[in-house]
Amino acid sequence: MPSACLRVEPNQVRATVLEMLYRAGASHLGPCMSVVDILVALYGAVDVEAIRQGRPDRSRIIVSKGHCAAAVYAVMHHYGLLSADALADYCREGSLLAGHVSHAVKGVEHSTGALGHGLPVACGCAIGLRSRGDEGSRVFCVMGDGELQEGSVWEALMFARHHRLRNLVPLVDNNRISSITATDRVIDLQPLENRFAGFGFEPYVVDGHDVEAIQEALESIERRGEPGVVICNTVKGRGVPFAENEPIWHYRSLGEEQFRAALAALAEAMRQ
Amino acid sequence: MRGIIMDALFAAMKADERVFFLTADMGINLVERFAESYPSRFLNVGIAEQNLIGISAGLCNLGYRPFAYTISNFLVHRPYEQIRNDVALHGYPVTLLGTSGGFDNAPLGPTHHVVDELGALGALAGIDLYCPSSTNCARELVGRLIERERPAYVRMPKDNFDHPALEGETAYLPGSGRQTLIIGYGATAPACIAVQETNPAVSVLICQRLRPLDEEVVAGALARHDQAIVVEDHLAASGVYGALCRLAMEYQIRCRVRSLAPDNYSLQVGASPRFYQARYRLDKGGIEEMICQP
Repeated sequence: MPSACLRVEPNQVRATVLEMLYRAGASHLGPCMSVVDILVALYGAVDVEAIRQGRPDRSRIIVSKGHCAAAVYAVMHHYGLLSADALADYCREGSLLAGHVSHAVKGVEHSTGALGHGLPVACGCAIGLRSRGDEGSRVFCVMGDGELQEGSVWEALMFARHHRLRNLVPLVDNNRISSITATDRVIDLQPLENRFAGFGFEPYVVDGHDVEAIQEALESIERRGEPGVVICNTVKGRGVPFAENEPIWHYRSLGEEQFRAALAALAEAMRQ
Repeated sequence: MRGIIMDALFAAMKADERVFFLTADMGINLVERFAESYPSRFLNVGIAEQNLIGISAGLCNLGYRPFAYTISNFLVHRPYEQIRNDVALHGYPVTLLGTSGGFDNAPLGPTHHVVDELGALGALAGIDLYCPSSTNCARELVGRLIERERPAYVRMPKDNFDHPALEGETAYLPGSGRQTLIIGYGATAPACIAVQETNPAVSVLICQRLRPLDEEVVAGALARHDQAIVVEDHLAASGVYGALCRLAMEYQIRCRVRSLAPDNYSLQVGASPRFYQARYRLDKGGIEEMICQP
């Protein structure tokens, strides 16, 4: 049963992410902020209770851009999968919650950190579900657009298309900035929909900060019954004005004034 | 040995629905029956070794026991990061089945000589390494692999070899003397045993499990001899020689450990494994020569 009734507010998640990053002196603010709405949409579209219980028939969410761990853990927290105490340990000595997602954290399907790993693993999950006759579960894989420069992504797409893996849905956090600069200045893959269409995936291009639009795209792919990809156009650093579209916020950690300013900006956005 | 393992694996697929066979487009006249008999548990992922390993990891998430097959030079080196992160880090029970170890694919040239994969995989935490040295060992290995809860790599030697004393994970064949112990595995096992047949004073240790070594048996054998000669179609330092040196030091064993290995590897091409075995003195004559050398 989908968890949409929980009504998680993305900007509240962003505020949680800010607190985690600030307390830990951690980086990756930019890619965390761009992916929040995608993750809120995904966890809202699946049966979170099945994930909590680790049921074999659960839908699987694999976050391949593992550097957005703070966002993943914050969303899991807001969906009731991780306690506040656990979040408080983020990047602390001895914690299981590191700067990249870890399967040591209950509810996380797969550890990622090196890019281009998630989609092949997601393919394995999808083909495994099919092999054992489980038609109801789906596998979602969240990637960054910079990550698409990894060749293994396209190996997996070819495989998924050939095997018509209808239960597998890749989603791209298309924030257009990779590690140190704009993706179109490194390897220009835009428009992404053409690339995916060429590999046999029906592209669904949505506003990546519109939770309902993302969930509608997921439903459309399921109804159509053919391989489809959700390209989520996002803003890196979304919600934190001084960090939006600034590559340095892949690496920079928040000072106290910046933290207060960012929280205030989110509070203002939630008031509007 | 490959055929023996594949026969055992094919039989296991009938008995155990967790077993899943994957190939990266290798194994003509070998893998077809897997596809025909068990289509829902067979995959040819294509020439895409990174995907081979990632998919295997994903299948483990569903509870399957994947066996991922291709030639070792493709199986280990191309998807090394996938093996490290997606398999070893997760402790997933993927079994990597590799052929072409050592010089088994001799005429295909240096890209297809595999004298470093054991060291590469041995550098990772959590993967056990096997190399069956006899047909009966190869046959019984499959069952143990399925029941394992950890990742494993199996170097499958090309040639079949039978010897009644080769059983279990480590076989110790004591000689009548205490001077020399010869240690080999896989393709070098027949030469080691041939030396003992003409020189009964020599002891022989054949390892099927290369990592972790059976420390009790290996250390005991080392302690009973003045010198040990490790004969392997793999670089010495990252191979069994390196592991043995460490063992000898840790157990404070007074035994000289020597190596016959292709450390001075060259690009000169041979038409058969025998060319390389002779070149690097991995054959009976080379071992006998080293025994006599001070």
